[in-house]
Amino acid sequence: MMRNRMLNLSERWFRLLQRLYPPDFRDEMGNAAVEAYIDRARDALKTGGRIRLIALWVRAFVDSLRNGPAERVRPAAWWRRAGNWGRDIELVRRRLVRSPIFAATTIGTLTIGLGMFAVVYTAVQKVLIDPMPYKEPGDLYYVWRDYGPIRDVKRGTLDGTDILELQKTNTVIQDAAGMQPFLGGVFSLWEGAEPIEIAVTRTSPNLFDLLGVAPALGRSFAPDEIGRAREQVIVLTHHLWNRLGADPGIVGRDVRLQGRPFTVIGVLPPDFTFVRNDVAAPPQRVAAYIPLAVNLAEPNWRGGYSGLIRARRGASPGAVAAAVDLVGRAIDARDFNSRGLKLYSVGLKADVISRIRPALIVLGAAGLVLVFMLMLNLASVLIARAAQREHEVAVSRALGANTIAIVRSTLLEGGLLGLAGGALAALAAIWGTRALVALAPLDLPRREAIAIDWRIAAAVMAVGGLLGVVAAAAPAAWGARASLSSLLAGSAVRGGGGQSRWRRGLIVAQVALSLVLLSSGALVMRSFERLLRADPGFQSDGVFTVRVLMPYELFPQMSDRIAFQDRLQGALAAIPGVTGASAASALPLTAPAIQSTITIPGAPGNTGDPERDQLPTDIIAVRANYVEVMGMRLIAGRTFTEFRQNGVTEAMIDTAIARRFFPDGNAIGATIRWAERSYTIIGVVQQARLYEIHADGRPQMLVRAEPGPLFYVMRTTREPHSLLPEVQSAVHHINPRLSVGDPRSMDDIVQASLSPQAIGGTLISAFAVGALLLSSMGLFGVVSGSVTRRRHELAVRLALGADHRHVLRLVLKEGALLVMAGLLIGAPGIYIANRLIRGLLVSVSPSDPLSLLVAALGLLLVTMAACYVPARRALRIDPAQLLRHE
Amino acid sequence: MGADRNRGIDKHLPLRRVEFHILLSLAAGERHGYGIIQDIEARGDTSVPDVGTMYRALARMVEDGLIEAAARRPAPDRGDERRNCYRITSAGMRIARAEARRLELLMRAARLGGLLPKGVK
Repeated sequence: MMRNRMLNLSERWFRLLQRLYPPDFRDEMGNAAVEAYIDRARDALKTGGRIRLIALWVRAFVDSLRNGPAERVRPAAWWRRAGNWGRDIELVRRRLVRSPIFAATTIGTLTIGLGMFAVVYTAVQKVLIDPMPYKEPGDLYYVWRDYGPIRDVKRGTLDGTDILELQKTNTVIQDAAGMQPFLGGVFSLWEGAEPIEIAVTRTSPNLFDLLGVAPALGRSFAPDEIGRAREQVIVLTHHLWNRLGADPGIVGRDVRLQGRPFTVIGVLPPDFTFVRNDVAAPPQRVAAYIPLAVNLAEPNWRGGYSGLIRARRGASPGAVAAAVDLVGRAIDARDFNSRGLKLYSVGLKADVISRIRPALIVLGAAGLVLVFMLMLNLASVLIARAAQREHEVAVSRALGANTIAIVRSTLLEGGLLGLAGGALAALAAIWGTRALVALAPLDLPRREAIAIDWRIAAAVMAVGGLLGVVAAAAPAAWGARASLSSLLAGSAVRGGGGQSRWRRGLIVAQVALSLVLLSSGALVMRSFERLLRADPGFQSDGVFTVRVLMPYELFPQMSDRIAFQDRLQGALAAIPGVTGASAASALPLTAPAIQSTITIPGAPGNTGDPERDQLPTDIIAVRANYVEVMGMRLIAGRTFTEFRQNGVTEAMIDTAIARRFFPDGNAIGATIRWAERSYTIIGVVQQARLYEIHADGRPQMLVRAEPGPLFYVMRTTREPHSLLPEVQSAVHHINPRLSVGDPRSMDDIVQASLSPQAIGGTLISAFAVGALLLSSMGLFGVVSGSVTRRRHELAVRLALGADHRHVLRLVLKEGALLVMAGLLIGAPGIYIANRLIRGLLVSVSPSDPLSLLVAALGLLLVTMAACYVPARRALRIDPAQLLRHE
Repeated sequence: MGADRNRGIDKHLPLRRVEFHILLSLAAGERHGYGIIQDIEARGDTSVPDVGTMYRALARMVEDGLIEAAARRPAPDRGDERRNCYRITSAGMRIARAEARRLELLMRAARLGGLLPKGVK
């Protein structure tokens, strides 16, 4: 009897000690261990009586104290112990499968939102963050001259002698190269082969060494391959090499450029991209490189150089700037009488991406805001879902389910949803980035690098998973507190549960963020709309353009070229539906013109300082009728006549030159000096903008077409592209060996020049609309939930004599309050966002009241509609039925 | 395959004392926990493991596949009480043998090195 009592007591003690072990170990081993203890206890009692038994108790206590906690912290078991993850995942999966609409809409929303984020993130990562594909790209800088003291050019080219000075200096500057654009070179693989037009950069021979790039085939330029009187050599890019048939034996072959023989000495590696070669124009991709035709020390009629330097490894940008400035001072003293013309350096990457950077930063920020909104949205959706499961949770808690398990399963659900959304988004981003690249302007720096990779896909999935877990934190925390008693209490009062407070807060935040995104989107769109309406100085509609190259071999004589152009212009003008035809060396908004400087001796606007009176000017060679065909505005004088008189050279100037040199407005008849020749001004026109659609570029001078590669333009009453067959047959009729290239309408060209803004605007608007939809969805859910929850109260109100309109107002007021709170909180956010988007806006103030008003009103309208739809359900409440039912 | 198996065995070596004892007991036939403890006591080892230590070892060895739970069966000496019994797996057997061989080699080395008297069995 006594023995049994002692044994019972022992068993209880041993079971108590088992609490020191983790639960899963207890489940598995507890009973067996207790049995083993009892066996020992029996033996102890038998052999040593109570003293032995108590000794055993103490020993068991020490044992459990040592082994229990040790088992708890065993790392391998910790994961397993934290619950049965496989089972939990299975449960979550089943829960999601059971509510397919919920799962599909949630994952769909996440996929779209995260997909947009992924695309933008890829662009930001690849363009802004990833290093350029050169050796030590951080040590490469461009050098420009600030002509500030003598002309209005902040970013000017260098002279050859400046490059030499930069090379000679024994400071942190290791080497310097000079480059010149040479766009529109006529290239053919061999004499008589179909010519293609390619862009070429002329460079000092050390460019590739300076970049740290070795050709994939052949060699790069030797140091003495510069200047005249030497064999002409050319290095092809991988892209051009591929286009020519990727023949590995090309090295050593002669090719033709401008009809002259060049020997191919090398082919660059496929990932080599180098875009900047000109000061004013956007970075241009080139297809081949040739050495400079003159030594750096000689004067160069083609104009200045872009300077590129490599600093010693690890030199700070400050040290580089100081070294460049030092060289600049010496040059200023030597060449410019110390008038303060400075040289300055800009990091290679900063320079290349400077145009796209503000847009990408804004898009990146908008993407982050969108992700944040997705998180808030998911949180409020999960809270609503948790509210539906309130009973289940409370009951299972009452039955002893542990809090951790409930929290874990909620977090797991959020995390899995986020992960699934992220994975699908990464997948969608594969196509998204391709679409972006296809839409992106050709001169978008590093365009080819934009593609999603594993790193980015993993990051997007991680963002999705994290977003899901964080979003699930609120419902998890709330679920952990759910209890049967509070549930019963809640259902008795039918007031708003804790969850609806959470959801309201989330809605307010979402509305606030939507306001920020929408106002940014409205501003960017308004700026885009201003751009669309901007007057570029010509009329783009109904103008068709083609390029007809005149290979040197076919037209060796100047007179042949002019005769051909005359014939072709006449033939094009004779095409039915064409009202006029002309030609120019550079089309508006595309290739840069010849950049040079002009003087107008004796003009009243001259200052007397010869440096100052040289005006940097874009020179465009055009044929008769150009101003009329392009729809440019003639301000004064006349345009070129059909027939040229021998010995008379005429020019038209734009209003900028007229204003600069002829403040009194009488420019006609004056003489312009350019390139050692004189031109008589016959007319003043509004400039047809060459660079940007919304702002005048450099001053322009139009001269009579010098023969060369020319763009033909036709004004037509037909659909412009429908002219192509007739244009081709006209060209072939005159000379069957010529080809017609680059058929475009001027509208295409305008569109292409707007595409960065179009893409940026579209993406930001998409983000804004996405944000609007998310917050509307949230509001819809809250109001609809509120109608359901308050139907009892509303029924009572109706029964007591309130009319339905009053009840509807009551419900709507709830939504309206949330929206108003969101608007108030979001308003300061607009100003923060405005700082970011300022760089993107063209002729729109970042606090443009109209745009902001439209954004706020739009948000109000849409969100109130999102409230109204579910609120109407309040009208259908039949108090008698509802109350009877209750 | 053979190399694989050896690597699988090497991963477990050396065994902890309690693990070796458990394998040793189970090599002779199925045992329940207390039975193993009794075996160890009978072997005259100076320190008999605590129940907790042994059950933690058992749990781990089941996980590792050295032993497995046998069907519950009546304890031979206690009428109808049913116990958790364990039996050794073939992997467990191989590992126990490998451990014994390892110990034997160590013993031989100790004798050759003069740490233990030579020729004493």
